[in-house]
Amino acid sequence: MTPIRRRSLLAASGTALLSQAAPRLARAEGKPRVTVITQWSAGSDGAAITALGDLFTKAGGDWQHNPVPGFTTDMMNKLRAQILSGDPPAVSQLKGPEIAAWSKIAPTVNLDADVAAAGYEKVVAPELIKLHKPFGHWISLPLQVYRINSIWISRKAADKVGVTALPKTWAEYNAIGEKMAKAGIQPVANGGTKWDNGMIWEIALSGISPAAYRKAVMELDAATLRGPEVLAAFEQTRKMSLWMDPNTASQHYSTFIPKFMKGDAGMLLMGGWVQGVYKKAGYQYSDYMTGPAPQDNGRPAFDLNADAFIFWQRKEPEFTAGQHLLAKLVMEKDTQKMYSGITGSLPVRTDMDLSDPAFSDAQREASASLGAAVKDDQAVLSLAHNMAQPNQITAAMIDVLTEFVTDHSITPQKGQARLAEAVDNVR
Amino acid sequence: MTGVRRRLDAALPLLAIWVPVLISIVYVVGFTLYTVWISFTPSTLLPDYGWVGLRNYSAILATRNWQIAANNMAIYGFCFLLLTTALGLSLAVLIDQKLRGENVFRTIFLYPLAVSFVVTGVVWGWLLNPGIGIQKLVVGLGWTDFRFDWLVDRDRALYCIVLAGAWQASGFAMALFLAGLRSVDADLMKAAQIDGAGPLRTYRRVILPSIWPIFIAVFVILLQFAIKTFDLAMALTGGGPGIATVLPSIVVYDFMFQRGLLGRGSAAAVLLLLMLLAVLLPYAVFRRWQHVRNARNA
Repeated sequence: MTPIRRRSLLAASGTALLSQAAPRLARAEGKPRVTVITQWSAGSDGAAITALGDLFTKAGGDWQHNPVPGFTTDMMNKLRAQILSGDPPAVSQLKGPEIAAWSKIAPTVNLDADVAAAGYEKVVAPELIKLHKPFGHWISLPLQVYRINSIWISRKAADKVGVTALPKTWAEYNAIGEKMAKAGIQPVANGGTKWDNGMIWEIALSGISPAAYRKAVMELDAATLRGPEVLAAFEQTRKMSLWMDPNTASQHYSTFIPKFMKGDAGMLLMGGWVQGVYKKAGYQYSDYMTGPAPQDNGRPAFDLNADAFIFWQRKEPEFTAGQHLLAKLVMEKDTQKMYSGITGSLPVRTDMDLSDPAFSDAQREASASLGAAVKDDQAVLSLAHNMAQPNQITAAMIDVLTEFVTDHSITPQKGQARLAEAVDNVR
Repeated sequence: MTGVRRRLDAALPLLAIWVPVLISIVYVVGFTLYTVWISFTPSTLLPDYGWVGLRNYSAILATRNWQIAANNMAIYGFCFLLLTTALGLSLAVLIDQKLRGENVFRTIFLYPLAVSFVVTGVVWGWLLNPGIGIQKLVVGLGWTDFRFDWLVDRDRALYCIVLAGAWQASGFAMALFLAGLRSVDADLMKAAQIDGAGPLRTYRRVILPSIWPIFIAVFVILLQFAIKTFDLAMALTGGGPGIATVLPSIVVYDFMFQRGLLGRGSAAAVLLLLMLLAVLLPYAVFRRWQHVRNARNA
């Protein structure tokens, strides 16, 4: 009995090994090839990256995507493990200052020639160029952009209090908020996660002064962090925190979207990806009003979030060919139109014509505001979405901000002092 | 040929046992030592084998996150231990009354242990959320003044984790206590009855004192449960509101993976291990003492 079992075990494991090796053997030699790690496995993100893979395959490449669903940190753990074992993916998702940080731990591919050939540098926001060309060379490419400072107003709530236009300044925002509060509507729609809390402060500060935001959050300037604009942002955040749903606990903001659409909550500050949530829940464009979040200086400002690919160096020629092919595709107008059309994001290129029906009015308006904000030097990088600072600094700042939002006994002055202190400790 | 085969057959069971044991030892002991080593290095995104002495430890101990977490650990550990033991013991005593359908009850009370912590956390998260769960239900039934908003109250959210944790673990405590109760000599109980002790008094004065080693075992198992709590808190409160309910394990995760500071995170992990050892080492000494004493008495 035993020997038979042993033999069949051996046979079984042998077949298993062979069947794993088979696709590898079948792969044509020399065909451009990429291995890709991202966290995008489901929903519109998953659909978009699958479509990109199809495009790559059609262009003659061999596309191998290994999604790591869940938190971004899970994807990063997988990436770390692969780098440690000397087998990095040809391409992986990574964003913001983490691109520079991670590029120090393993060699990356120089994409300067590809970018120059596509004339790409002229059509990308300068803030993004700095992030994706960290030490003077392009090693990564932004894939899609989202505007963080977007406001969404529930049509039903607006009708109840007679609001017909979006608030242009924080004073107007607060006036609408008071009206809604009086009418029994909870003025601020929000979730209970840390980044949600941090993002509200971030939108307040960038809406008060993008210049102060740049100095305080992106450059960690000690004087600005202790200055009047940052204090004003804390005051505005306190006001909004008192208008929030006290019962969000740690729930994701999307849990409360039905309540928002019913008109029980009035105004939501959230990046453009929320359109995907609306669509999935069956809401129409007519159910809400949207546009840029309040901006006190009256000029277009843009709080940037961008997803990107980083290209890891591999010795095999088919990987090199695959990487350059993918880089070329990602920079193309058609690819960006296809990708953003699926996810509801904005194309990275600032020279795109968005009149195509694949885009919504909200996307057109936000995309136009990106170009305008770049020209006016009012484009900044998001803190809560890991664009402005490396993760350790972001985490320390977000901890202070989420404590401030959830603990109403902290005064704006004390919140500001704590933030400046937290930055001093990690600087 | 047959000799080789016979020897192979004899070796197979040993191989089946020892290979996994050795692998587990390498994994557990090896990676524990590796983590201790990393905690003395300046590692950030990847391991970096320099030497920074105790700098990671002093940095971690100085963060607000760790201070809040250590404080929470003390409160959570104490309350969880108390509530779970009390519930487990009460259930065990009730089931001990020679009920009909005892097995059904035992299964019901033990069942939560089979549920993953994440599921427990998510379900209790909905139940305890004042806008969605129990509070909303009771208010909807007409008691409009009813308030049960611990989950969103910074000072009370931690007790929600205690509640959910106790719900999950008290069945386990019950099983241990029940085994203890059943091992008590029936003559002892008879003697107490003849001496005129009521059921309450019998339990308090005769049965429970005679199963005190079970209490120690339950305490130790529950405490190490509490110290390792991670997924339950993550799913239930996510460390919030703000960072009011972070626990040491959440700090480890936060520093290692969220912030990409492997050295700091490892230092926090080693501190967590020291907490566990503070519970487990005295217990090991106690077991040894018990063993020696039993041997002497025999």
